[in-house]
Amino acid sequence: MQNTMNENNVMIRMHQIYKKFGALEVLKGIDVEVNRGEVLAIIGPSGSGKSTLLRCLNRLESIDGGSIEVEGDFLAVENSAGIATYAEASLSKEILGKMGMVFQQFNLFPHMTVLENLIEAPVHVKQIASDEIIPVAEELLRKVGLYEKRDAYPARLSGGQQQRVAIARALAMKPDIMLFDEPTSALDPELTGDVLKTMRQLAEEHMTMIVVTHEMAFAREAAHHVIFMADGNIVEQGIPEDIFGAPKEERTKAFLQNML
Amino acid sequence: MEKLMGTVMLMLDGSQITLQIFFITLVMALPLGLLAALGRLSKLRPLSFFVEVYIWLMRGTPLMLQLLFVYFALPMVGIMLPDIVAALLAFTLNYAAYFAEIFRAGIQSIERGQYEAAKTLGMTYVQTMRRIIIPQMVRRVLPPISNETINLVKDTSLIYILAMNDLLRVARTIVQREFDMTPFVVAGVFYLAMTFVLTWIFKKLEAHYAKYDE
Repeated sequence: MQNTMNENNVMIRMHQIYKKFGALEVLKGIDVEVNRGEVLAIIGPSGSGKSTLLRCLNRLESIDGGSIEVEGDFLAVENSAGIATYAEASLSKEILGKMGMVFQQFNLFPHMTVLENLIEAPVHVKQIASDEIIPVAEELLRKVGLYEKRDAYPARLSGGQQQRVAIARALAMKPDIMLFDEPTSALDPELTGDVLKTMRQLAEEHMTMIVVTHEMAFAREAAHHVIFMADGNIVEQGIPEDIFGAPKEERTKAFLQNML
Repeated sequence: MEKLMGTVMLMLDGSQITLQIFFITLVMALPLGLLAALGRLSKLRPLSFFVEVYIWLMRGTPLMLQLLFVYFALPMVGIMLPDIVAALLAFTLNYAAYFAEIFRAGIQSIERGQYEAAKTLGMTYVQTMRRIIIPQMVRRVLPPISNETINLVKDTSLIYILAMNDLLRVARTIVQREFDMTPFVVAGVFYLAMTFVLTWIFKKLEAHYAKYDE
């Protein structure tokens, strides 16, 4: 199935994505490509559709039109009438299993300890023996600097710590792609640092990442490619130097001015 | 004193049927209530509608009427059930309906993000409910479930009308025979003792689930 992609390094291709909530059109024909090992930052005002776009990629929302291709497999294809249809269950499950997701509100399981949160899906979804996965999970916790919190319940952690656990939980499933939906928006400003550091570290390890964010400094320094969205459209995209240094569109300029 | 002991012994006998009805109803109605709650929340409209009608019937008519129906009306259409089974059937169906509504409210109170996190980790519906949603739901519904359970202790006295020798009927028999009100007091003490034990158990359960904050 790999042959459908001409460039081997294109990992994700979303083509002409349309999405409506009732009468409200939130995505109006979006095209996105992400290369292997690339960090894509999606910025834009609230209600621009950037989170919806991310949620369409891992099927938390269903698209109305367009196609989604991940590593050569189609999660959704468009029929001749322009309606998107999804892959059958087993292929869909395989594709979605390649993506890890980090939410704005962390969404840790409050009734499980930090370590239990990490091993839950590997043990019950991937059927990995717990004595095999626990060392892996502990290593991930060391990586995000929270090994000593392994037996704590999430409510005992600060927001920044919870978000780092959430990142570790997603990584425990060994995803090829990490999706971040405004990972620092629910945090106090002084707590964002460690989360962003963890994300930078992942980027340095060449994890393929799509990050919906309001952190302009992060987008500028850590992203390879930046998309600016407004009103369900991509207004402008390019390398961070161009988007932040010399934006062409008035909309982009106004938005960036507001963010500073 | 000897007379009081005699009364207590007779009533201990009577309390056996009360306890039987109580425990068996609880053991059957809790899982049935959970299934009904899941059915009520199902996207399958016929299933959800069926459960809704069932809950409406059970909550909308007196438990006493339901007992009489199972006990006297079913035999008329040829369904003969042993006394205790008839009583258990009515109690279980009735209590499962109330439990179902409590469980439904509990399940609906769990944040959407929990389902989304489970979904993005590849968990199936059954895994999500069993491992993520229901354990959190249980913690939240303990107080109302405790309430209903204590109600059940007292509602068991309704089988009095079915001429089964439960705690209350034994008490009344002695009172009528000996013109002595003591058995009523003893019965009251029995019910209080049962609810005391239940209250203690639910306190322990709540403490157990309090090990994590939300």
